[in-house]
Amino acid sequence: MSDLAATSGPSAPVTVLLVEDDEVIRKTVGMALERYGYAVTSAGDGLTGLELFRDGRHDLLLLDVMLPGLDGIGLCRRVRESSLVPILMMSARGDSLDVVSGLEAGADDYVAKPVDTAVLVARIRSLLRRATFSAAAEEPPKPGAGLIFGDLTIDTDGLEVFRDGEQVALAPTELRLLLEFAANPGIVLDRQTLLRNVWDYGWDGDSRVVDLCVQRLRKKIGAERIETVRGFGYKLRR
Amino acid sequence: MDADIVQAARGLLNPRSQRWKIVALVAMASCAVALAVGVLVHRSTFDRSMAIGRERAQNALGPVVDQYRQTGVADPLSVQDPDAMPPALLRQDLEQVGFWYDDRRPDIPWMWAAESVDGHVIAVQMEMGSELRSLQALDRHIVEASLAVLAVVVPLAALAAEPPNRRLRRVARTARRIADGDLDARIGTAGRARDEITDISSAVDSMAGALQERLLTEQRFTADVAHELRTPLMGLLTASELLPESEATDLVRDRVQVLRTLVENLLEISRLDAGAESADHAVVPLDQVVEESVRRAGLQARLTVTGDPVADTDPRRLDRIVANLVANAHRHGRPPVEVAVDGTTIVIRDHGPGFPGELLADGPQRFRTGAAERGHGHGLGLTIALGQARVIGAELTFRNAPDGGAVAVLRLRGRTRPEG
Repeated sequence: MSDLAATSGPSAPVTVLLVEDDEVIRKTVGMALERYGYAVTSAGDGLTGLELFRDGRHDLLLLDVMLPGLDGIGLCRRVRESSLVPILMMSARGDSLDVVSGLEAGADDYVAKPVDTAVLVARIRSLLRRATFSAAAEEPPKPGAGLIFGDLTIDTDGLEVFRDGEQVALAPTELRLLLEFAANPGIVLDRQTLLRNVWDYGWDGDSRVVDLCVQRLRKKIGAERIETVRGFGYKLRR
Repeated sequence: MDADIVQAARGLLNPRSQRWKIVALVAMASCAVALAVGVLVHRSTFDRSMAIGRERAQNALGPVVDQYRQTGVADPLSVQDPDAMPPALLRQDLEQVGFWYDDRRPDIPWMWAAESVDGHVIAVQMEMGSELRSLQALDRHIVEASLAVLAVVVPLAALAAEPPNRRLRRVARTARRIADGDLDARIGTAGRARDEITDISSAVDSMAGALQERLLTEQRFTADVAHELRTPLMGLLTASELLPESEATDLVRDRVQVLRTLVENLLEISRLDAGAESADHAVVPLDQVVEESVRRAGLQARLTVTGDPVADTDPRRLDRIVANLVANAHRHGRPPVEVAVDGTTIVIRDHGPGFPGELLADGPQRFRTGAAERGHGHGLGLTIALGQARVIGAELTFRNAPDGGAVAVLRLRGRTRPEG
């Protein structure tokens, strides 16, 4: 990778909390990410990871699924109780159960081990972009601050979402997904398009990521708001 | 829904159905009983009317004979001319009273009684028509009653055969669902009395349970092996990326990639073998998917597309198949490698020596790469392509072109883009 310093633009480095029980992976991934300019804090088990997460400020969590004590999925769920920080899961088992439970627990994306450092960094960047983008930077400009879909109001300037006047807390990926839908109201978006525009995947993305994020979003904004078009994808109901 | 009705109708009309066999059996048994009872009743009634006829004939003969003995004159109502008597009656020993039932004219039967008095045979005959008619009426009643009983019993038998039939059909349906991969399907025997059908039901259920258990064990094992292999590999991969650039580093990285591909291929094969894979269908533009997988494989291939092909398939698995076939063409064949997309058929051919005969005969075998000159590789690519093709319901065949070169033909299940 040529753009080693790409992420070190702001003065404070991006901090990543890495929770991984395999010592070699913990060390090597930590070193590799540091080369890309990230500040890495690492833990060898879930409970230590949770403690570290509560003690400090982290921009992103990189979690292994299989961890001694509290596993990655449990840790993810505990973190989501109080925080919308981007979470990337790493799974070595690669069976769908792991992936699905990780995404259900609130992870934004997953990578299968073994993963190239370049790919890992690309996933991390994509996640961070979602977490830090501002309305001016990435959001398709819309006149007026509020988009209204039934009982749902999206403030595209303040990036806040209200349902029946009450604010809904959306994780970055969920917000990004909702904005993607809001930019194309009533239009069916297929999974590949969503993978490309929200997750920055090409053809190699796993469409379950989309399905599970849509599920989580539905729980927060009302199931009927996003309609499934079988065999194609999803659309936002006006 | 319609298919269910058609199937039910076919089951109803099938002459070999258990239902009709049971009905036929019940009908036959009923007929046999009716016949036996009818014959017995007929015989005993006939015997009784014979006895009555004989008694009446004897009572009539007695006074005639007495009168003849006393006066030498026979009653004019009696018969004395032997020619008018049935020969069978005359053949009897008539020292005592002899009887003969004369049914030579079937509608007017007679009962004869005769006795010889001093060599002179005197006979009387009694008309038996009313007995015959009441016997015939009795026979008719028995037949009518039997038919009435059959008319009730046969539909009842058909109805009674229905519940066990339905249970058997449920067993068959469940077994088919299990065979189609729904391992959670069970027949269920709770609350049923033990009979042969609950026996076979619980046997099928326990077979499904054992299959499911084995499949789960296999899947768990595969997942554990995957974890055990990938964890150190991930450490190795990341560590090799941290090494300072050098020729030796390139060698290490190259071998790590080879090892990684091998591990992933083996895990993929064991997942395919375990039958744990299911397709994730989507409607995709076929040319784009194929073009993308050729591009990402990083190999040269000439792509020709006919029309605007669209397929309902699993794009990730299709990508695996195409990438493996193109890689195989490069590894074992010679360029140019050509990929042709026409409708839902994808043809990949090279211009090398073609597939070895044993591959064409037996299909791809893991770790068998054929003749040494076909280059190196682990022989897993084609096995994986074949397994993935099976998962997405596509047909993958291998042949050799007449002018040399290996040809792999992938036929996806035909499905056009639905409107809307």
